[in-house]
Amino acid sequence: MTGDDELDESLRELVGDYHRPGEAPREAMWQAIERRRARTGRRRPSYLRRWIPLAAAATVLLAIGIGIGRLSWGGGSEVASRAPAPALAEANGTAYHLVTLEHLSQAEEFLTLFRSSVGQGEQRLASSTARRLLGTNRMLLDSPAAMDRRTRLLLEDLELVLAGIAQLPAQVRRQDMDLIREGMESGQVMPRLRTVVPSGAAPSQGAL
Amino acid sequence: MNDRELIGRVLAGDPGAERALYDAHVDRVFRLVYRMAGDLDRAQDWVQETFIRAFDRLHQFRGESSLSTWLCSIAVSITLNGLRRVKRFREREVALEDASTVGITPREADPDLKTRLHRAIDALPEGYRTVFVMHDVEGFTHQEIGHALGVQPGTSKAQLFRARARLREALADFARD
Repeated sequence: MTGDDELDESLRELVGDYHRPGEAPREAMWQAIERRRARTGRRRPSYLRRWIPLAAAATVLLAIGIGIGRLSWGGGSEVASRAPAPALAEANGTAYHLVTLEHLSQAEEFLTLFRSSVGQGEQRLASSTARRLLGTNRMLLDSPAAMDRRTRLLLEDLELVLAGIAQLPAQVRRQDMDLIREGMESGQVMPRLRTVVPSGAAPSQGAL
Repeated sequence: MNDRELIGRVLAGDPGAERALYDAHVDRVFRLVYRMAGDLDRAQDWVQETFIRAFDRLHQFRGESSLSTWLCSIAVSITLNGLRRVKRFREREVALEDASTVGITPREADPDLKTRLHRAIDALPEGYRTVFVMHDVEGFTHQEIGHALGVQPGTSKAQLFRARARLREALADFARD
């Protein structure tokens, strides 16, 4: 290369070919955006956007106020003595919630990767990963985590997709892939997973 | 209609304005995300996430940078997080699987300059690669990159300088030929 900190002319042209994008699929992306926003209720009137933070702040202040009130009346010990049973149930619920969230997060990562890399010689890796996720998925379906209807339905749809991938032959045929894609699309598995596991969020920050 | 008016109408709940805002900026965002992701499915997912997040947070936009740069900053953040998750996932799965059975994708014996260059860009550290793609591939200014990445323009210049040096190093044998 020539020059101290500039790329030379021929390289500039080659750089322009790096992951050269085609035309943006505007309509398809917009429709997906509309569907996802409608499903998650993220399209809200602007007055709600302004009031929600204020309402949240008011709730926090109210909770602090109630806490201070209880302490100042000396009722804290009574509250504490009644706490263990619900606290234990809550802890169990939280544990299942976190395990489910972690599992769904892994499934979402896996399916995203699977869609883009299948056919590049990674079928065996994909099948073994799908089998591992399928095992966890079945355990969660038999656990209290599946008591929540929305979670159970998502786990059931996910099971079908994972089972399809787990059974992929070494030489993937087009019809095998079409079946898996159909399963993912008809159940809207990916958008539902993404609703549960927002992009970029750590599992503990997500919400079922 | 300029961006300020458009934002006002979106915040007032006008769905037509949302679409107009999307149409005005989606191409630039898509180009950037695709360049960084190198995969159509992922690029589409991350662009969608960018606009969903942008509509959610539009009331927080203070106009310190242009709307386009603000959207690109969201897009870069989502894309980098997504790429990190893909990388973590690949590493985890490869560790679980017998290492000898993966990574067997055949490679050409003597890749041409373009292939070598693209591989060298892929291999750049995340920060260098992001700045390089934004500046040298997509034509962002250092000011815009600074806003988008939350760094000083001088930092962006320094990272670009180092990125180019790494590429020169990686392609040194071609230069000698």
